[in-house]
Amino acid sequence: MANVIVCYKWVIDEKDIRMNPDRSVDTSRAQRKISEYDKNAIEAGIRAAAKLGASPVGLTFGGTEAKQSLKDALSRGLEAVYWIGHPAAGTADGLLTARVLAAAAEKIGDYSLIVCGEGASDTYARQVGPRLGALLDLPVVTAVCDMEIDGEQLIATRKLEDCIEKVKVSLPAVISVLPEINEAPVPTLKAVLAAGKKPSQEFTLQSLGLKEEELQPGTSVTGVLAYVMDRKNVILKDGDVATRVKEFVTYLKKEGVI
Amino acid sequence: MAGTFVVYSDKTAIAIELIGFCRGSGKRAVALAFDAAAAQEYAARGAERVLLIECGQNLPEAYAKAVAGVLEREGAEGFIVGSTVRGREMAARVAGYLKWPLVSDVSKLVCEEKELVTERPAYGGAVVQQERVKLPAVVTVPAGKFEPAATSGAGAEVVTLEAQPDERTVLLERASVEKQGADLGSAEKIVCAGMGFAKKEDLKLAFDLAAVIGAEVGCSRSVAEERNWLPTDVYIGISGATVKPRLYLSIGVSGQVQHVVGIRDSRVIAAIDLNENAPIFKAADYGIVGDLYEVVPALIEALKNC
Repeated sequence: MANVIVCYKWVIDEKDIRMNPDRSVDTSRAQRKISEYDKNAIEAGIRAAAKLGASPVGLTFGGTEAKQSLKDALSRGLEAVYWIGHPAAGTADGLLTARVLAAAAEKIGDYSLIVCGEGASDTYARQVGPRLGALLDLPVVTAVCDMEIDGEQLIATRKLEDCIEKVKVSLPAVISVLPEINEAPVPTLKAVLAAGKKPSQEFTLQSLGLKEEELQPGTSVTGVLAYVMDRKNVILKDGDVATRVKEFVTYLKKEGVI
Repeated sequence: MAGTFVVYSDKTAIAIELIGFCRGSGKRAVALAFDAAAAQEYAARGAERVLLIECGQNLPEAYAKAVAGVLEREGAEGFIVGSTVRGREMAARVAGYLKWPLVSDVSKLVCEEKELVTERPAYGGAVVQQERVKLPAVVTVPAGKFEPAATSGAGAEVVTLEAQPDERTVLLERASVEKQGADLGSAEKIVCAGMGFAKKEDLKLAFDLAAVIGAEVGCSRSVAEERNWLPTDVYIGISGATVKPRLYLSIGVSGQVQHVVGIRDSRVIAAIDLNENAPIFKAADYGIVGDLYEVVPALIEALKNC
């Protein structure tokens, strides 16, 4: 049976990130989760697989902690998950991630469709899907907000800034989907229990034919800083309304904006 | 700093800004166009060479593999692309074919001798990530980051290229989406309505205030998406509109980070909210803590008389 491969990322939960006064960012106590948009990608992949008579399988590249994601991914309805856990994922950019995923997709083989989320909730760089398409020399459709399967073809609706496009693409193809494509259901208890019995397989770099020296990212991160707004913060909270309003208007006039 | 950068955007105005960036960095700007009108525009606006691929009914991004070949033949060391849906796909596919690094949606971009120094947002804008990337590389750049190139006297040469699209994708239909609300991207002043309003009719206060100062009206995400009080194309934030007016004035907006990301390039940020601990005040230059139903009518009166 052919596969529908869904790529997902095991990301830091942004709500657990602590910003220090010196603008440094502390992620040491953060939990991880499947990137929110990838939950929609998984659901889209499962629905497409049902129409294609294919098997929906997950694929993730992360650090060794990515192993913790397998059960969650499987409980969402995937039939198997393949994963690559390597420390290089910590500094990976789109170039490296797409290289690893492409090698893994070829190893899985016999795929009719690869589904990615439009972007990851941490970096939101929105490049891995289309890059993967290029590496595998497959057609690509991004920003997909709706899709239907018509035999060996997929009809995708794309959402652009000022227009909606309907595109027909022959399979196999790579698509990246917007979160509005579906509502990703919360896994049921039954699905969570069943997930424990589903297969997962680890790919080593060696088994993918990748060498350590091929694991260099193309970009190097030189700083990660909390965003700070450098604003005047003149907040008027005392006195009656008329006084506050008068003062407020005076400030805005001085700025020349009214 | 000699060298060639190829520039592409499906929005002509962004491409002209990117030509401005290349020239400002001492690079030879080669502009890539998919229709003749855009090609002529680039030729007159500072590009040193214009390459035209007439794509007709095809999608420009279906030429990604051909564009990768063009970059190689031009000896380009950079592909500078406007951050739009089409631009991002083109950039990533070309980067994929060439195996070049790509930095997406840069908020800062500086060209040094052999590398690009960039900043981009991460974690929904809460974090700024600084990166260095060696040339050759691809970057995508949102609108408004660089001054457009000035009109140049002598028009550059326009070369028409024959290129093979990927025929596995076919455009069936394209329908333009009519904008329902104001064009916030170019607005000089914006009044932004938040969840502090108790009912839809009360938004009249925001529109009245906007009328007095000559502003457009936008809103927070929840006002559009949850309450459906205003069209979704006027909500401001990371997944909505990014604005940079001279004056942004919010009413009853709490100012979650996802919203603030969309306003932070505004020149002056002013806010009215009941809760003095609302994050919007940390992002604001001026603020009034108070009940919008008292403050806004008083403000309208005060502004009428000034």
